[in-house]
Formats: sequence, structure tokens, C-alpha cells
Amino acid sequence: MQDDNAPISRRKFAEELERYRKGSVSRRHFLGVTGLGTAMAVMAGAMPMMRPRGAHAAELGDRAVLATWPNYHDPESFAAFQKATGVATQVNVFGSNEEMLAKLQAGGSGWDVFVPTNYTITTYVEADLIEPLDLSKLPNYDPAAFEARFADAGTVDGKLYAVPKNWGTTGMAWDSTKAKAPFTSWKEFFDITMTDFSGRTMVHDYQLTTIGNALKYYGYSFNSVDPKELADAENLLLQVKPHLFAISSDYQPPMRNGDAWLTMCWTGEGKQMNRDMPEIHFALGKDGGEIWSDYYAIPKSAPHREAAYALINFLIDPQVNAREATAHGFPVADSRVNALLPKDVLEDPILYPAADLLNAQEFGAAATLTDPNRAELMARFKSA
Amino acid sequence: MAYATQGETIAEFVNTTKRFGRVLAADRLNLKIGKGEFLSFLGPSGCGKTTALRMLAGFEAPTEGRILIDGQEVGAEPAYRRPVNMVFQHYALFPHMTVAENVGYGLRQRRPRLAKEDIAARVTRALDTVRLGDFGPRRIWEMSGGQQQRVALARAIVNEPKILLLDEPMAALDAKLRGEMQTELLSLQRKLGITFILVTHDQQEALSMSDRICLMGKGRIAQIGTPRELYDRPANRYVADFVGRANILTGTVIRNIGEHALVRLASNHDVVVEAPHPVSPGAKVDLAIRPEALRLATAPQPGLPDIVAKLCRMTFLGEHVEYLLSHPALGQLQVMVPRQAERALPGVDTGHEVHILWDQGNGLILGQD
Amino acid sequence: MTKGRARWLLLGPAGLWYAALLVLPLAVVLVYSLGERAPAGGYAPALTLAQYANLGSRWAAFQNTLLLAPAGTLAALLIAYPLAYFLAVRANPRWRTLLLVLVIVPFWTSILIRSYAWIFLLGGRGIPALLSDLGLGDIRLINTPFAVLVGIVYGYLPLMVFPIYVSLEKLDKRLLEASSDLGAAPWRSFLQVTLPLSLPGVATGSMLVFILLMGEYLIPQMLGGGKVFFVGNALVDLFLQSRNWAFGSAMAVTLVAIMLVTVTLYMRFLRRIGAARDDTGLM
Repeated sequence: MQDDNAPISRRKFAEELERYRKGSVSRRHFLGVTGLGTAMAVMAGAMPMMRPRGAHAAELGDRAVLATWPNYHDPESFAAFQKATGVATQVNVFGSNEEMLAKLQAGGSGWDVFVPTNYTITTYVEADLIEPLDLSKLPNYDPAAFEARFADAGTVDGKLYAVPKNWGTTGMAWDSTKAKAPFTSWKEFFDITMTDFSGRTMVHDYQLTTIGNALKYYGYSFNSVDPKELADAENLLLQVKPHLFAISSDYQPPMRNGDAWLTMCWTGEGKQMNRDMPEIHFALGKDGGEIWSDYYAIPKSAPHREAAYALINFLIDPQVNAREATAHGFPVADSRVNALLPKDVLEDPILYPAADLLNAQEFGAAATLTDPNRAELMARFKSA
Repeated sequence: MAYATQGETIAEFVNTTKRFGRVLAADRLNLKIGKGEFLSFLGPSGCGKTTALRMLAGFEAPTEGRILIDGQEVGAEPAYRRPVNMVFQHYALFPHMTVAENVGYGLRQRRPRLAKEDIAARVTRALDTVRLGDFGPRRIWEMSGGQQQRVALARAIVNEPKILLLDEPMAALDAKLRGEMQTELLSLQRKLGITFILVTHDQQEALSMSDRICLMGKGRIAQIGTPRELYDRPANRYVADFVGRANILTGTVIRNIGEHALVRLASNHDVVVEAPHPVSPGAKVDLAIRPEALRLATAPQPGLPDIVAKLCRMTFLGEHVEYLLSHPALGQLQVMVPRQAERALPGVDTGHEVHILWDQGNGLILGQD
Repeated sequence: MTKGRARWLLLGPAGLWYAALLVLPLAVVLVYSLGERAPAGGYAPALTLAQYANLGSRWAAFQNTLLLAPAGTLAALLIAYPLAYFLAVRANPRWRTLLLVLVIVPFWTSILIRSYAWIFLLGGRGIPALLSDLGLGDIRLINTPFAVLVGIVYGYLPLMVFPIYVSLEKLDKRLLEASSDLGAAPWRSFLQVTLPLSLPGVATGSMLVFILLMGEYLIPQMLGGGKVFFVGNALVDLFLQSRNWAFGSAMAVTLVAIMLVTVTLYMRFLRRIGAARDDTGLM
């Protein structure tokens, strides 16, 4: 084995993934819906004695508040950042883009940096909630290093508002010991849910993917806001609902203990489950589905703007970013970072699917975030 | 008093003993209670009188010995199967029921069931008996302490128990109300002919109401007898001290004189006192003399020993004046002087010396405790 | 200083608190409920009853709440009463404090963590696996109304136990002796004396649990798998996901109204069965 050139050994990588797996009990949706993340933010903000003090507090302030998704960072990065700058990072985790938007719309979020998904950025720009980025304060950002499709959404009307963090897909994961054949499409996903897998399937508690994948059942666009097409999707979802094990984005525990056999699943989490339990397989729908890219951005209301720039710049440093990627397992679009990652990670079929499969996937569209019909459809489906 | 001990027995303690852990609350009680009798358990707190009552009611089971009610051994019977009812110290009325509901409670527990009208009629009668005829629909908290006491009484007697147990029922009443209640209880007992067993620490109450008193101390029966017997012939120092007031002295027997004895006091005065038990000359004995059995005079009286004592205090009590005197050999002595007899003591004041007159035959030799 | 001014000074802080934290938010919610959803989500001013007309679309949430909140209250009561009775009447006084602490101990842990324990217990590898080993076949417990009921009862049991315990503990034991003395066997004494006199505790506990259950959100979310939906869950969705504040406000107002009515009816009922006396505390 020629590990010597790699910045991180295979063994270390395996250990890191294991650590991630063990930490995976708390997930995006779980923490989001429970409001724990918010509670922590409010408390820390309200109590001065809970703010950490730093040596270089004078220039940047002594803290930065980051609104992000669970299990999406290496805690050591924040420790290193504090050591370098004196700025302590407070991390608040959220359940959905809708929730992030709701908090920013309501005002008084106190966030300095947040992590929106590609399709939401134009909405933040229109609502004047997001700050155009001053590139002079982000020397570590190199636009040339990014694949355009994972970086484009950060620029709106020629102005840069957000820089890419990670990308991924939303596919399906299943217990292969229970399935007669591998799943290849969303049509199969919903059909088997109403037959062999009744009571064993999970869909996300997230309008974009749950409605989007139901739309794919009929061959409609993942992003459709057409009332007739949405009515079809609602029909399907209401039909499927009695056969679902749960409507929840907290799918790892039931998948791991065998309660659920099939679930909508984000790339990195599919990888985690497959790594620990090889019988859990992951695939994209050949009929389509979501491909996504998350970004770092700064809200207009950021109380510590300088610290926000410093934090983003620190996190997109290729060395730091490679360590982050190793910790959380999601792919990075920055070629400088990929040069530092081991080959087997870059060739993993789950993390980096074949180009033809990837081409069938759609990025979420801005309209889905604000469309009242999609929001109301999801709410009706859940409360049916 | 009409009661005769040789009458029919309604309840009986036979060597009944009760221990609470290491505490001996009742120690080999032996007692027969007659039908229709008014018996009081008298004694200070902790003497075992309440334990005796509670064993009779069925709230405590004897550790040893037996209890019989109407000839039946009831040691193992729970309270709800015993033909006795109790008036509790703080009445223990059910706060969520009306007066009438409280009174009818016992009747409603009867199986086979009694007819509703029958219950209502008996409740009304019981309430009339305790002069609360119109109070049936009232709530308990609307009633005064004395009224609550009568509700508790009605609640017990409506069941026509073989024995009515009264656990310090008048302790919470003021003095005037207590007197009225005592009278009422007595007439009620005459009227109903039920055996009443009263627990009290108030000797006046026990003396004035009871056919017999069972005086208890330290878990044991100290003396059983009519109020007069207890007062006039206390068996021992404990009884003499607890019932009424007594000057308790020591002396040496010189000789027996029939049912009396000549005793030499510590002051070398010789007095003639009652001797209920035979005593032998030369024996050291305790003797008791009631304060009202002594007289005071400004001069000695021929034929009586001349006991001269110094007057320490006079306490005016209305009909009587209590004189407290001090004698170098006999210690402190109480003498109760009626108001009209006080005229024989002109000008006597504290600090003066007076003559104590001990009439022959007054006073009593006490038995051992 | 006049008496009147002193009274106002005393009432002032509580009054302000009450106004700022209860009346004001309720007023805001009431106003919002007459508005509309802004195009990108949030609230847009309007004066319409359209949101109330749409309440029918959340019928299932109301149905679940109105079914499971009383059922949960009743189940909690049935479990809590014997427990409270044991603690107050039967338990050795020497151990009583310890036992009471044991009842509260779970409260020291977040309900979140405790609900997670139930997810595993009710999940396929927990109790159902045990039942299946006993030959009871494929029984699914997690993500069912039953699971939510279990979680609810477990989570709110201490709130039911303590008021009942207090009412039983202060019950004058001599009343039971009196009852026995008057011929009532123990179980009849319980029915005629203990039970009626502990009703204030039952009322307080039931009220506490019921009111909290009506607004419950976390337990259905965690043990119901998003399928057993309470009004609280619908509210969170409306405010955080679909961002329809106007409709969410209308639902919240309706929930408060339903609660007011049920609680009033419940208190009337209690009064009628004779629990309402001058010393019943909460009544």
C-alpha cells in the first residue's frame, strides 16, 4: 500500500468514518425539529458569561455563530480556528432550508454564517436577507477550482453571495436482504412500498425530496409547481401514507435496527450505513431525483461580519476542508481539496455516482421553496 | 350509683397485652365491663388508656391475651365487623358529606341493605336525640365544634352499638360546653342503656360521669373502682396522687386499732388513720390525707396532735381557700379551708404559724404501688 | 401609602408579566389568524376568516389530539393513582422520600433522551422482538398511536402522581378508622372516603397532564414517526416549514378555544360529582 503520499492514511480514514458513524445518532432533522439547536443559540447569546473569550478578540470579536446542518463539520476545525483567531464558533443545527428561511425571515437570528442549499439562495437575495461577499476577505476562495454546476448557484445577477461547501445527491437506501432485486427508480420505490415493503418504508419530512420524488413517479420534473402535477403527487403520497413506516428524516436508527427496509437517503448517510452494514445498499433513481450543493453565506443581519469572513475563509482552506470532508464524508467540489483525498474515496460509487446517473438528477429550483402549494401539500400529507 | 359489678358482662380483657416495638403499651390487662355500665379509662397520656380503647374498637390487635365482646373472642376481628362504635377525639367526620350523610354512613354499610326510608328515619331520630334535628343538610364545616361533637355522637349511636367508645370526646370543647356535654352524655346513656366506655385524662370528668373508673399508669391498671372508692380509698400513692389532691406522708405503725391504725409521723406526732389492709406494728408506711380533711386553727385542740406549721401561701378559689404550709419534718402540706371556716382564722397571714388539726380516723394507709 | 396603592404595587409585577407574556402574544396570534400568508411565506395583513374556513384540512391533527390527549390523561391517571396510593398510604415512611425521588429521577433527564430510549424499546429489536420470541408473531409498536400513548403516559406520569400523592398524603387517616368503625370493609372505605377526598388531586393532575398533552408535539414527532400527528405538530409545520403564519395562528387560536371549553366542562363535571368544596385547592 502506498499511503505515504496521502495526507491521511486509510486506517485513519476508517477511524474517522467510524467516529462519524457513532456520532450519527443526532441528525439534521432530529435536532431541527426538536429545536435544540435554536435553544442553544438563544441561551448562549443571552448569557454573556457563556461566551468564550479569545486572545485576539479585539479585531474580530470573540465569537461567530454558525447555522448549519448536523454532523456537517469537524469540531477540531473550530478549535483550530479559535486558536488561530480567538474567535469561538457557536454551532446551531437546523432541520430544513424552510426552517432556516423562517428563522431569518422572523429576524433576530444572530447568525454570522449559515449554510443554505443551492436552490434557496435567490430567495434570500430577493428578500434582501443575504450579504454580497467581499472576495478580498476570502483569499482562500478560488473560483477556478470548482466545477461550475456546484458553484453557480452562489452567484445571483453577477454578484457572488455564497461559496460552495459540499455537494451530494438524494437517493434511496434499502436492506438488500429483504429486496428481490436492486431498486433503480422512484417508481419502484413507491410501488414496492404499497406491496411487499408495506410498513417498512420511510420518506423524508422535507417537501423538496418527498414531493419531488413522488413527482418523478409520474415522470414529472422534480421541481414541478404545476397544480395538476402536484395533485397527482399528492394522490400518490396519500395512497402511500398508510404503508409508510414513518415520515421522518431521522432514518438511520430504524434502518440500522431493521424496523425500516427502505428510505429516501442523502449520499453521505447512505455511505455511512453501507460502510457499517454492507447489506444496506444505496442507489439513485434512474428516473431522476435531487442533486444538491450547499454553500457558505453571510446574512445581512450578521452581528460579527469580520469574524464571519474569517470563519468561511478558514473552513474553505483546502487543508482544513480536506479534514472536514474526511470527518463528515460528503463530497467536495473543490479540486484542490480532492487532490488531498485518498483515491478510494474519490472512486466510491455511492459518493461519486456514474456520470449518466448523475446527469438524470435535478438541482432543486427556487420556486419549490416559496411555492405555497408545495408547502401546503406537504403539510396536508403529514396531517392526513 | 345503680350499677352492680355482679351484673351481665359485655366486654372483657383477659391478660391483654400490647407491644409497639419495645414499648409496652398495655401490660396484662384484666377487666370485665358490665352491660349498661359507664366506665372510664383514666390516666395521664401514655398510660395505655387509648391503646385499651383501640384494641376494643379493633384498630389494634393485642400482642398477647384475649378480648371478648358479648362472650365472643374478637381479637382477630377487624373493626368493621365489631358491634362497637366510636366517637373520635377530633370527631373524624367525613368532610365531603353532609351532616345527615355522616350520620347515615354506618347504616349504609349494612348488608343486607336497609331501605332508604328506614335509614332516613333513623338518621332523623338520631339527630333529634342529639338536638340537631334541622341540621341534616348542612355541611360539616358549617358546624361549630360542639355541634360537630354531637354529629359524631349521632353517627355512632344511630348504629345501636353494644358498646359506645368515647376517645377524649370533650377535650376540644371549652369548659362551659364541656360541662353541658357531660350532662347530655349521661342522660343519653341512661336513655339508651348502652355501655359507654370513656377515655379521658380529666379526673373531674371521670369522677362525675363514671359508674366505675379504671385508672391506668404505665400500661397497667392501677385501680378499678367507683369514683368514691378511688377518691376515698386510693390503693396506692399513684392513685392518691392522680385522683384529687392528697398530702402524702410517711410514718411508722405503732399499733392496729380494728380497721384503723395508730401511726407515728416523721414529726413524732401520733395520728389515727384508716388501714384498709392489715399492717404490722413497726412497719414503715405511706399515708395520704386529703387537704379538705385537715383543719386549721390559731390554737391547739385538746386530744389532737399539735402540728404547728408556717403559712407560706393562701390561694383564693371561691368556695375554698387553699393554704400551703411548711413543716420542718413533714415538708409541704396543703389544707383546703371552706370560706365560712376561714372566720376561725382572724388575722392569719403568710409567715404566721398556725395549728393543723388532724381529726382521728382521717387519712389512709396506702398500699404498695 | 394607601392600601390601594400597596395592592397595585404587589400586583404590578405579576400583572405586567401576565400582560407581556400571555395577553400580548395571544392578541398577536389572534390578529395574525385573520391575515394571509405572504407570497414567500410569513404573514401578510388582511381581515379574512379564510384561515378558519380551512381548518377542516387539519381535521386529522385535531382528531388525534382530541382522542389521544384524553386517552393519555386517563391512562396516566389509572397508572398514577395506585402508585400514588402506595407511596402515600402503604409505603414505609422511612423509604417514602427515596421512592418519591425515584419517581422524579427520570425528570432529570431530557424528555428527548427518554423518548429516544422508547424508540429503541418499541422498535423492531425491542419489545416486539421479545413478543415474537414468545410466539406472538409480527407486532409493530413504534410509530403507532399506541407508541405515542406509551410515551405520553411515561413522560407525564410524575405530573399526575404528585398532586394525587399530596391529596392522599394529607388525608386524615382517622377518617378511614371512622369508616371501618362504622362497618365499611377496606375497599368500601376506599370508594366512599379515600377516593372522593383525593379527587382534588386527581383533578389537578388530570388538568396538568391534559393541558400539556393538548399542546404536545415532541412525543408524537418522535414515537409517532410523523404519522400520528397532533395539532402541535401541525403548528410547527405551519410556522417552520410551510411558513403559513396566518393559518398557523388560526389553528393556535382554535386549540386554545377548544382547551378553554374542555377545561371548563371538566371543572363543571367535577363540581357536579361533589369534589368541589371550599378546600379543594385548585377548584
